[in-house]
Amino acid sequence: MTLKKASSDWTQADTDTLFARYIRTRDPVLRDRLVVLHQNLVRYLASKFVNRGEPLEDLVQVGSIGLINAIDRFDADRGTKFSTYATPTIVGEIRRYFRDKAWSLKVPRRLQELNQAAAKAQEDLSSKLGRPPTIQEVAARIGATEEETLEAIELGNAYDTVSLDSKMMSDSDSAPLSLAEFVGAEDESLQALEEYGDLDKAIECLDPRERAIIVHRFFKDMSQAEVAKQLNISQMHVSRLQNRALQQLKRFMNAAESS
Amino acid sequence: MTQTLCDTVELTIPCRPEYVGVARLAVLGIASRMPFSYDEVEDVRLAVGEACTHAVERAGSTVAQIKIVSTIDSVALVIEVSDDVPADAEPVIPDEDAQALAAAGVDQQGLGALLMEILVDEVKITSTASGTSVRLTKFAPE
Repeated sequence: MTLKKASSDWTQADTDTLFARYIRTRDPVLRDRLVVLHQNLVRYLASKFVNRGEPLEDLVQVGSIGLINAIDRFDADRGTKFSTYATPTIVGEIRRYFRDKAWSLKVPRRLQELNQAAAKAQEDLSSKLGRPPTIQEVAARIGATEEETLEAIELGNAYDTVSLDSKMMSDSDSAPLSLAEFVGAEDESLQALEEYGDLDKAIECLDPRERAIIVHRFFKDMSQAEVAKQLNISQMHVSRLQNRALQQLKRFMNAAESS
Repeated sequence: MTQTLCDTVELTIPCRPEYVGVARLAVLGIASRMPFSYDEVEDVRLAVGEACTHAVERAGSTVAQIKIVSTIDSVALVIEVSDDVPADAEPVIPDEDAQALAAAGVDQQGLGALLMEILVDEVKITSTASGTSVRLTKFAPE
């Protein structure tokens, strides 16, 4: 019994015998044969998923992982046919592949690209043929199926031409809100964050005593009296040093802004 | 969800391979009305494509039609694919791929049904002498 046997001569009984032998011996050579024998099943199932934009070969690879898992776990005594047992595992592996690839984020982009390709093909073919091309001609030009082409023309457009006035889903009672109302304004705190960076540098330029006063007063919320006590100087002195430090910071910040 | 009424879309196509794509395109539009992810929409589309393809295969050269009735409400999308292919129609001659599958002990018809069961939440197949109906249900996410 070898795989060289023409596929038309190969029967279900041969497959069953091969499985029985593999289950008994766990011989990796037999496992390889079983994998090869069921490549058609993997290919058949993978081909169902090709129009989701991933190459068939990649899907066959992923599906084969499912097949190998199924071969290892298959128990012929349960009375289930192997293909029935393996299909959910193979399909599960293919679907997980799409999920893990964040495929859904890529679809709009792919449709947009196809849409642009279709638009260009329409233009090129129109001038070449002297008449608007048919969908079949456009599909052939961009190397997509007619179904994909129609889909791209119909949907690819929708993705980049959403009106700001288009109504968004809202709660049942309230009036629908337009998309424009959801569009954010410039975030001022981002600007503030940038300024914090400058301020940080400015503080580092102060002398150690001034820096201590600024940190205690403005970052630790201490009073001038508390700071005076901590640094063992008069409150008057703290006040003077603080003013000088603030003046310096102000100069530094202005310089940073104008540069 | 604001959508509480149930919407119905009906489509009848000739039971021929070149029209399966039309059904798939329509289902894309219909399934997109549901709060499904892209993957889920594609799953429904694939399941409907399978149901139609099997009708086409069973029909062979027999002239028949496929009726696709989609019902959408807040709970689920139900798509019923019915054909009027008589039980005694001469099916298409299986191609090489199908023969290779059969050799590996794979029954393609059964595989299609299995695939549909994986892709949607409920599959109910009813066959009579005058045709077959496949009822596919995909529930909206909680």
